[in-house]
Amino acid sequence: MRCTFLSLAAFALMAWSAGAQTGGSDYKPPKTPWGDPDLQGIWPGNMGVPMQRSKNLGDRTTLTDEEYAQRVAQAQKAAAADNEERAPKDARVGIGPPSYWTERGTPTRQASLIIDPPDGRIPPLTPDAQKRRKEARGGLGDPAEWAGRADTYEDLNLYYRCITRGVTGSIIPVVYNNGNQILQAPGYVVIRNEMIHEARVIPLDSRPHLSTSIHEYMGDSRGHWDGNTLVIETTNYTDKTSIGSNGVGYNGEGGKHTQALRTVERLTRVDDRTIDYEVTVDDPQTWTKPWTMRIELKRDSKYQFLEYACHEGNYAMKDILSGARADEAAKAPR
Amino acid sequence: MWEIGAIGAIPPGQGVVDGSQIPYTPAALAKKQANFTKRRTDDPEAKCYMPGVPRANYMPYPFQIVQSPQGILFVYEFASANRLVNMGKPVEAGSDTWMGTNNGHWEGETLVVDVTGLNGLAWLDRAGDFMSDQAHVVERYTRIDPYHLNYEATIEDSKTFTRPWKITMPLYRRVEKNAQLLDFKCVEFAEELLYGQYKKK
Repeated sequence: MRCTFLSLAAFALMAWSAGAQTGGSDYKPPKTPWGDPDLQGIWPGNMGVPMQRSKNLGDRTTLTDEEYAQRVAQAQKAAAADNEERAPKDARVGIGPPSYWTERGTPTRQASLIIDPPDGRIPPLTPDAQKRRKEARGGLGDPAEWAGRADTYEDLNLYYRCITRGVTGSIIPVVYNNGNQILQAPGYVVIRNEMIHEARVIPLDSRPHLSTSIHEYMGDSRGHWDGNTLVIETTNYTDKTSIGSNGVGYNGEGGKHTQALRTVERLTRVDDRTIDYEVTVDDPQTWTKPWTMRIELKRDSKYQFLEYACHEGNYAMKDILSGARADEAAKAPR
Repeated sequence: MWEIGAIGAIPPGQGVVDGSQIPYTPAALAKKQANFTKRRTDDPEAKCYMPGVPRANYMPYPFQIVQSPQGILFVYEFASANRLVNMGKPVEAGSDTWMGTNNGHWEGETLVVDVTGLNGLAWLDRAGDFMSDQAHVVERYTRIDPYHLNYEATIEDSKTFTRPWKITMPLYRRVEKNAQLLDFKCVEFAEELLYGQYKKK
């Protein structure tokens, strides 16, 4: 199992290197004063690359000129809508934030975040995982994309509850606050994620993982250098988070994993302002084989990394629950 | 009384305030007393809110200091709060935040952190002591031996106090071989307190 997984990851990396990588292979990243490759800085994610690839693209990892032009045109259309000063008179009243709050990202030619399997699609669920999905919450399913029931706060997912977005959910680019900041010190790398706010302190001294009886939302991370690549292996996960945007899954599927999840992240600075971030997701109790996402992170020294006080300002939770109670009261027989 | 047994007790201590008394204005003292009465539900710690500065440093949860070329990062276990101390050219506070705008510099062996832009919502302890959004905190961290820091914080806030005042305490290093910060996502502990009344009956 482990052997297959490693060779798949290696294949994915090779496949990408042969593709549209910027910077060239002779790029040498700067070093920290103590000699580690220097990955420090603010590297916000870039919204706009779908997690899974459209089936019609097959094994193609990059868009054609025509497909790319379409993606750019879509982004320009969205940006134009964002710049309208006020909503048209006949617009329906919405409860979401105004559209100018959201980031559209800069279109790239990357066909999908998933680069392995080669079709860019999440591998099939194991029979056990299919059963778990079906039986979750007495048949209602996992509270990944919120489906409307709000009897209690536990009907809402970990993102709505401002608990955490997990390791991968904190890096997959979303509509706003995509700040990622990397800091280094001798023996440590820290990855800060802006939204909800995390600061994952990753030791590089090859100490053993936590006891297998301890499980954490953000897992237990250990890092080492493989040449100029930072490799982070994370285990000891809970079975409460999911793989996908904001840690709550992807379209049509909850993305929920088990405690057997192991992730391997590989961060390589491929030019002065680009980190090639890849994460391999391996949970044999959920997916029939490991799969890998690639996210291009661009350094932005002007990015303002803000304090994201999610739970402290979570009016939505009170409003969703009290709204559901008001709705019940209005519908109750008199 | 609260029905949580002695788990809810707070161990005794002699206090860390220089001169023992916090110099509240009369109005602020009345607010402190009201906070104390409502502390079970109103203490931001009970609600799992970010603890602010200086409280984050003396809660019963560990924190880790990461000294990096990009600044000095304080990572707190409680609520995953963290704050990056800018060691470069001082920056002005933007919007008010829980953990403040932190500018640091070295005075000999002492790290001095100047904290502004605090939102005034954090408390200083479980007894309802507080400060306002006008507070200016100056912290001093001095390593006095391999396992201890001397910690001082001077608090200036003319809206709340009649004069600046200071707390002083040692900070003890975790010396366990396997010491590391663990997840402490306290939101789950606070949801019943905050949202229980809105659940379906």
